[in-house]
Amino acid sequence: MSAPTFAPARPAPAAGPGATAVADRVARVAAVAAEHVERTDRDASFPLEALQEMRRTGLLGLLVPASHGGLGGTTDDVVSAGIALGRVDTSVAMIFVMHCQQVAAVVRYANDRLREELLPEIAAGRMYLASVTTEAGKGGHLLSSRSALAAHEDELLLDRFAPIVTGGEYADGFLVTMQSPPPASPHQVSLVYAHRDQLTVERSGHWQPLGMRASHSVALRLTGTLPAHQVVGEHGAFRTIVTTVFGPMAHLGWSACWLGTAAGALSRVVKLLRSPHTRGRVDLDSELLLTRLSRARQRIDTVHALLERARQVVASADDLSVPRVQLLLNALKITAADECHRAVDDLVDAVGMRHGYLKDSPTRLEHSLRDLRSAALNYSNDRLHLVDGKLALLDAEVRLA
Amino acid sequence: MDTRFTELLTPFLKFLGEQEITPDAPLRELGLDSMQAIELLFAIEDAFGVTLADDDMNDDTFATAGSLWSVVHAALGAHHGADGTQVRAA
Repeated sequence: MSAPTFAPARPAPAAGPGATAVADRVARVAAVAAEHVERTDRDASFPLEALQEMRRTGLLGLLVPASHGGLGGTTDDVVSAGIALGRVDTSVAMIFVMHCQQVAAVVRYANDRLREELLPEIAAGRMYLASVTTEAGKGGHLLSSRSALAAHEDELLLDRFAPIVTGGEYADGFLVTMQSPPPASPHQVSLVYAHRDQLTVERSGHWQPLGMRASHSVALRLTGTLPAHQVVGEHGAFRTIVTTVFGPMAHLGWSACWLGTAAGALSRVVKLLRSPHTRGRVDLDSELLLTRLSRARQRIDTVHALLERARQVVASADDLSVPRVQLLLNALKITAADECHRAVDDLVDAVGMRHGYLKDSPTRLEHSLRDLRSAALNYSNDRLHLVDGKLALLDAEVRLA
Repeated sequence: MDTRFTELLTPFLKFLGEQEITPDAPLRELGLDSMQAIELLFAIEDAFGVTLADDDMNDDTFATAGSLWSVVHAALGAHHGADGTQVRAA
């Protein structure tokens, strides 16, 4: 398998972002995503054109500080982008927010040398980063790893199989969780950066899922030798990175994508109901229809309110590890996953077989519903409920974040 | 650190092996799982007769044996000061 080749990306404009500038770039990516969404879903193929537009617009460097040539954007910008892209294509949105999650970890925790190597390349659109945290046999447990890094003089030997790597076949670099070098326990996890040309990347199996088909989340085996400075943070620091960056960014980013998906679905349904072609043929006084539209809208507004609150807390809390903050962030993920899926499910009932169930309806509810079915499984809601049960026990006063 | 405290901690640290628990012993790396925090809390409350503040249930408290002990120790002091009696040994 060879690395994807692209025409050299134009350097990102140097100006700082400003909400409009970021929104314009996001809109350009969304427009390209919209052109190809039907094909990438049908063929379960990676949205290369949308990625190319992320490179061209400099959006891949959204979180790279302006001092390194990036847009100097914030978590708020990532959330807004996730919602906007999710309205068009959940897979494209997820690919983008997960890339931003990796960049955030590099910005905050990579040593100076690694930052100097990576950040200008990310800002220039030459580097799309994928996340390698899944591992066979650990049941989705993020904070442990069974694959040990071997340290040899100034080098790290990486040999890692991951069953699901979103965009892994097209990424220019990877952030990989590994058990820290001996004598570490499986609970000492390090995050390492690996550039594609430092690795042998072997793909196994086929990608043929129900939804999120364009996310192209294949199984990969990565082997290679890395210089020691490519550890992000210190060895064993992954837990801290999860608490401060990975966890919040994941839950905010994913929830934004799912919220955007549900909002986009409702928007397409309402536009259909209001279109001159449909007007007069649908009974807009139907109490069943009105109630279902109301429920869908209510679910969307609930998730939006929770997302906004979680975003404020992440921006302002001194310590994100306390139970009330962890509970809020987990509640956001669980609620967004459940409610966004149910909102679209409500809409399927609202509009019925023709526009709710068939692929060729302009509502694209069938596609959105399949994509959103993955939300509860993506870092499983079941697992999060178990964690939240324990966290609830630690907060006898029930302090609300 | 109190020996009762290190004895109480030992069963939670499955990767401790033959090592001694020192104040800088990293609890997470030695096997303390966040899912066990409530069990550890109960063990501390039973052994020392103190209740730890909800606000202390953070990553800093559970980072090392020493950081956890300092929170327990502070709770023991507060307990002692509050009712003017000696803290009951477990």
